[in-house]
Amino acid sequence: MPKNRLWNSEHPRIKELVFVLRKLKASPLSIAGLSIVLLFTFLAILAPVLAPTQPDRDPYIMPREGYASTPKPPNTEHLFGTTEGQYDLYYGVIWGTRSAYRIGVLVVAVSTIIGIAVGSLAGYFKGLIDEVLMRLTDIILAFPGLILAMALVVAFGRGLDSITLAIILVGWPSYARLVRGEFLKVTSEDFVEAAKAIGCSDFRVIIKHVIPNTIFPLIIMASLDIGSIVLTAAALSFLGLGADPGYSDWGQIISLSRNWITGAPGNPFAYWHTFIIPGIFLFLFVIGWNLLGDALRDVLDPMIRRR
Amino acid sequence: MKPILVTKDLKKYFPIRGGLLGTRKGEVKAVDNVNLAIMKGETFGLVGESGCGKTTYGKTIIRLLKPDSGRIFFNSDGSLPEDPSDELNQFDIAGLTRGKLKSLRRNMQIVYQNPSTSLNPRMLVKDIVAEPLIIHKICKGEEAEKRVLALFEDVGLASEHLRRYPHEFSGGQRQRIAIARALITHPKFIVLDEPTSSVDVSVRASLLQLFKELQQKMGLTYLFISHDLSVVEALCDRVAVMYLGKVVEVAGSEELFDNPLHPYTKALFSAIPIADPKTKRKRIILKGEPPSPANPPAGCRFHPRCSQAMDVCRSEEPKLREVKPKHMVACHLY
Amino acid sequence: MPAQVLGENEQLKVEDLVVRFYTYEGIVKAVEKAKLTLMKGETLGVVGETGSGKSVTALTIMALTPTPGKVEGGHIYFKGTTGETVDVLSLKEAGLLKIRGKEISMIFQEPNAALDPLFKVGDQIAEAILAHRLPEMLEKANQLKKEKANNSSFLKSLPILRNRSRDKLLQQVVRKEILELLRLMEISDPERVIDAYPHELSGGMQQRIVIATALACSPTLLLADEPTTNLDVTVQAQILDLITRLKRRFGSSIIYITHDMGVIAEICDRVAVMYAGSVVEVAPVLEIFKTPLHPYTKALLESIPRPGSSFKSIPGTVPNLVTPPSGCRFHPRCYHAMEKCSREIPELKEISKGHCVACFLYGDA
Repeated sequence: MPKNRLWNSEHPRIKELVFVLRKLKASPLSIAGLSIVLLFTFLAILAPVLAPTQPDRDPYIMPREGYASTPKPPNTEHLFGTTEGQYDLYYGVIWGTRSAYRIGVLVVAVSTIIGIAVGSLAGYFKGLIDEVLMRLTDIILAFPGLILAMALVVAFGRGLDSITLAIILVGWPSYARLVRGEFLKVTSEDFVEAAKAIGCSDFRVIIKHVIPNTIFPLIIMASLDIGSIVLTAAALSFLGLGADPGYSDWGQIISLSRNWITGAPGNPFAYWHTFIIPGIFLFLFVIGWNLLGDALRDVLDPMIRRR
Repeated sequence: MKPILVTKDLKKYFPIRGGLLGTRKGEVKAVDNVNLAIMKGETFGLVGESGCGKTTYGKTIIRLLKPDSGRIFFNSDGSLPEDPSDELNQFDIAGLTRGKLKSLRRNMQIVYQNPSTSLNPRMLVKDIVAEPLIIHKICKGEEAEKRVLALFEDVGLASEHLRRYPHEFSGGQRQRIAIARALITHPKFIVLDEPTSSVDVSVRASLLQLFKELQQKMGLTYLFISHDLSVVEALCDRVAVMYLGKVVEVAGSEELFDNPLHPYTKALFSAIPIADPKTKRKRIILKGEPPSPANPPAGCRFHPRCSQAMDVCRSEEPKLREVKPKHMVACHLY
Repeated sequence: MPAQVLGENEQLKVEDLVVRFYTYEGIVKAVEKAKLTLMKGETLGVVGETGSGKSVTALTIMALTPTPGKVEGGHIYFKGTTGETVDVLSLKEAGLLKIRGKEISMIFQEPNAALDPLFKVGDQIAEAILAHRLPEMLEKANQLKKEKANNSSFLKSLPILRNRSRDKLLQQVVRKEILELLRLMEISDPERVIDAYPHELSGGMQQRIVIATALACSPTLLLADEPTTNLDVTVQAQILDLITRLKRRFGSSIIYITHDMGVIAEICDRVAVMYAGSVVEVAPVLEIFKTPLHPYTKALLESIPRPGSSFKSIPGTVPNLVTPPSGCRFHPRCYHAMEKCSREIPELKEISKGHCVACFLYGDA
């Protein structure tokens, strides 16, 4: 690593970040996870460069060459071939990375915010507030996640935004539970009482003292969750509850290959590219984030314990 | 010597909840009718074993806990009027709420036993120590940092320690950070809750020396809670002994350790191991186990374990009385 | 194993023990060439502060070095009831199982951490007894059965029920043994305690249970790692008293680890002082208080608070064991440090009868 000023900085937070990165370098699995995540991030950022858009078209709609229903295999014109309806698969999976990130990041961010709000109130004030809020989460958690999400999407009307909203509504209770548990643990520590002893208001105690000590488990949960969020969104899209056909979304693309999974008579893998390729993208995305989440947990856990 | 803090009939009970609906099954009488007067500028020791209520007392008098009944008279300027009087009542902090409580915190502080858990592990040391300044709107930013640095010099830390996390320090240094945090608003009264119990023996002495120096320099009054009697003997001016929520004996430090009167105090002192293999101390071994503070015995709370218990001890609770000049005991023997 | 490694009266000898911990922050050189000798029937006190390596050494004597620690050198010679000398560090798991709990037992600092909260305390003591004294217990059960044989019914002689009745008798025998043990621990109501869960007992009571478990098999060597540090001073007095009396009864040798010099003065015969991973001084207890030789021992004794005098502490802090100081590990804090001290590590040398120091101020040879 080049020894520049940033790397050797004396600032404690940067030292921490450097420490985390160095530990992540240590295990091959974590390097794999980190690389995959970085790769997808670049793909998402560079999407317009890698798969140029056309000026008067929504960039998320895949370009199509004709309207024939039979997908064409990979060739020189279409790198990954075409789907049913002659949509360019290569374009679709590249821009699908953006869709995946959009859903994943949005759901995680909003769930975290709601989770912190609910969990902190429940875990800090305890008593009646805790009971009421936890019963609310109990009700939501009583339903099987995917089924409830499906029902919500049907109620909201199909589309990627509906899917995002549905997954948020189904997912926030887990975050709230985690935050509440961490709050219960942290508020019993001496330094929280010490903060009150020097005169901190409850609000300040929560924001400045408790939440920063509950961040690490949240980061770990969020990074492990992104994969499953994107997977759930893909499942809902596959079932036809997502965007319209032709939209660059991995689940939607796989949904286009529904009729072609069994292939042609005599050749079951004739149209493999229609579902295997987007499937690979989905698979790698989920595994990359899972590996990164695991690696972060291995690094951050001892840091939490390092007292 | 004038009193800076006086408690009158102070009670703090903790409810025991049990059963289906969390009904109140009983109470732990942690602090039961405690009357003490702490003089300005002195180091007042509070000793006793686990469950006697000394930590609860310390936290209640600085209003970290709300007392169930009784009065706490505190005057940060140093002297309380005579008791009873109307003037005295205005210094009662037992019933204060929010706003006034916050300004009280500038004058009363606490240092905890375990410096590893009493400092926020995710905050930089300079932020930890400067926080009281920001909360009480005394100053912030660079001005606050200057004050923190000035205080660091007094407690034995350096400027390079500012931008570090607590876990990068040793136990003794962490305790100094906690002390700095307690002193940054120049309070008049500090509760030291077993501040040297979690640090090494060799570091203990330097912390005790630091307490003494700071007291002289800043005119502080300490309530020194400890179960380590040798430290209390060396550091404190006056000492009170607590047992099961009640004060059983109060006297000057030298007088108490030379002539303990209460049977419990005698047994307690005889149990301290002496760092001299040649002297063999005559041990008074107490019978039985310490009773639970939820179910204290009737009459004198110590009577089931007392070798000199009389009939009256079983039925009547002894009052804290001055039996020698400046030496008070709560025992029917006197 | 060379039989002459341990002298006639020697029970345990730790020789040049090296233990290193492989952690996130680097390699912690926790124990660096530690030397200890324990005589039969004596109480050896080990004094040290944070980072001295005393707990790690004690655990290593039972080959229970906590991960991520690794023993990287040295020997621990132990002579048990069999009379055979073994090197604990070279034993495999099977050999160690025979020693742990039976020949060498340990009492820990936190009694409620040493007791399993899910089991009654009687069951936990029974576990120790059944692990090592099963033949003896079965023998007693058989005897009991013979006594009852005449009164047993026809049903009980059926093969299926025979084992059950034997198990019940075994239970009775073990229970009697445990009650006896609890009475020995000066517990006044053993019948109640034997069926209690750990959380139902006070700290002092829990520690007695832990001691009972440790002594259940009459071990030759008892390791006590700060067993009374977390207890109230009156309870500590009771427990110290108990340990002294039990030692006389069972004849065990004790290694007592503590940081409290007062406790050392009370119950120890000899004292070893450890600092930053090595033993710096060993002497009989009277001598170590009267004429401490090593600067660290002197400073430690001076830092005990005394009324009237000012508080003397040791300047500096305990060294970082990932990057310990070169040479003598105490030299950065030592008033008498010489140039040599930063280059070479002093060896533990016998200066006068029974009194050894590791310091260049003494015994040039």
